[in-house]
Amino acid sequence: MIAHMIEFRHVSKQYGRGSAALTDINLSIDKGELVFLSGPSGAGKSTLMKMIAVMERPSSGTVSVNGEDVGRLNASGLPYLRRNLGLIFQQQSLLNDRNVLANVMLPLLVIGTAKADAEKRARAALDKVGLLDKAASDPMALSGGEQQRVSIARAIVNRPQIILADEPTANLDRRSANKVMDALKAFHGVGVTCIIATHDESILASAPRVVYLERGRLVDSPAAESLQGAA
Amino acid sequence: MIVWLRQHVLALAGAFRHLLRAPGSFSLNVLVVAIALALPFAGLTVLENVRPVSEQLAVEPEISVFLSMETPRERASALAPQIRRVVQESGNTGRLEFIPREHALTLLKNKTGLDDAITALGENPLPDGYVLKLSGVRNASDATRVETLAAQLKALPGVEYVQIDSAWVKRLAALMHVLRLALLFLAATLGVVVVAVIFNTIRLQVMTQRDEIEVCRMFGATDAYIYRPFYYTGALLGLAAGAAALGAVALSLHPLNDAITDFARLYASEFRLAPLGATATIAMLATSAGLGLVGALLSVRRHLARAP
Repeated sequence: MIAHMIEFRHVSKQYGRGSAALTDINLSIDKGELVFLSGPSGAGKSTLMKMIAVMERPSSGTVSVNGEDVGRLNASGLPYLRRNLGLIFQQQSLLNDRNVLANVMLPLLVIGTAKADAEKRARAALDKVGLLDKAASDPMALSGGEQQRVSIARAIVNRPQIILADEPTANLDRRSANKVMDALKAFHGVGVTCIIATHDESILASAPRVVYLERGRLVDSPAAESLQGAA
Repeated sequence: MIVWLRQHVLALAGAFRHLLRAPGSFSLNVLVVAIALALPFAGLTVLENVRPVSEQLAVEPEISVFLSMETPRERASALAPQIRRVVQESGNTGRLEFIPREHALTLLKNKTGLDDAITALGENPLPDGYVLKLSGVRNASDATRVETLAAQLKALPGVEYVQIDSAWVKRLAALMHVLRLALLFLAATLGVVVVAVIFNTIRLQVMTQRDEIEVCRMFGATDAYIYRPFYYTGALLGLAAGAAALGAVALSLHPLNDAITDFARLYASEFRLAPLGATATIAMLATSAGLGLVGALLSVRRHLARAP
């Protein structure tokens, strides 16, 4: 039996008595895969990604990461799962009270890395996304694309096994979006499993694997109106 | 272990950083907590100063044993071993002194200055007597034992009257007990105030650092990592307020001592209020920091408990 890196088995998610955010999702992602999640707004892409990071828990079914049912993780086990994940969100969630370098160092300090070592690795991560010269800058002084690349540097500084990027190119111009995607693909190139939620058709056009979601369900291919709505 | 220590250093540095980022707010919080702490600290300072004085006063309470006028001198002198035996059997210790009636009269003349009036009496109205100075009487229970002893001494042949001075020991002990209880109640009430103030301060800090907390959790921070800076903040706030309160109490002793010195001189005493000693100071600072920590603990548990 092949063990998948990430596996959803009959996963559903319902908020209160409202409509289901996800319905009977069955999905497997192998180690080192680059998977794109696509679908219109509200299709459940973010919910699916949040379940991998246990920011949401399924109403039914199981979500496994490295063979472990993460839905059963308790508060003390959760941090150790997240240390293997690199999270990138549409809202960069960079902290304004510290410079770019300090933002990128944060995931390392959280796990007890020595400050000097953390700084060295944070500079290396910034170098990989082409922003080493902005290390001392205030995050708010950067453009949207640069902020997103800082988020990527922060997500990969911890050398995670999985990168989860939710709409990383939203609100970016084409040039910035390409730089962000290049950075993410570079990490996939060194064996990191990447899951990227996007409805950017130009990105999806060259994607090795695309998973489509509509109204919380997996579909084989997107409906024409969904693509129009997403565009 | 190194990682654990490193994280504590990081948390402490973080706590300092957050406190110093808003010095005005920090100073006001310290002031409020210090005012609450100053009252019990002042009370403790007074009690600590009064306690040795009261103990010193109670060290040698006296029992005066007056013999009947008819008791001949030989019998009076011979009573000493009997008195000593009674004292020993009652579990007390002390010094016994025989005061012949002539000596008692001389003492009376010297002390009262009523030389002429006493001479006018013609004959010595005072009996032979003994003065028993007891040692180790410190509390109301000991004073009760003294009363029992006095009753036993009164039963001895030739003894006319026994006078004890344990009543004031009981009163003083009772007063000290009441003062201690009042101080304890005051300290407990104001301790709750301190905890409440720090609870609220930490709550506000949690709210302002909500984003940072979320980001840290996103990257695998444990609860301990997130809670620790708030614990240090609470303890530091308590410690700073405790130091400020102790400083304020020590400063207030100077003008107070001027007035106390004048008053004490009227009673030929050199009594002055002194600041708390090193041990008590350290204990008070630790208590202040502890109260701050409790406030922070409660606030963090209330406002930062991880969602299930």
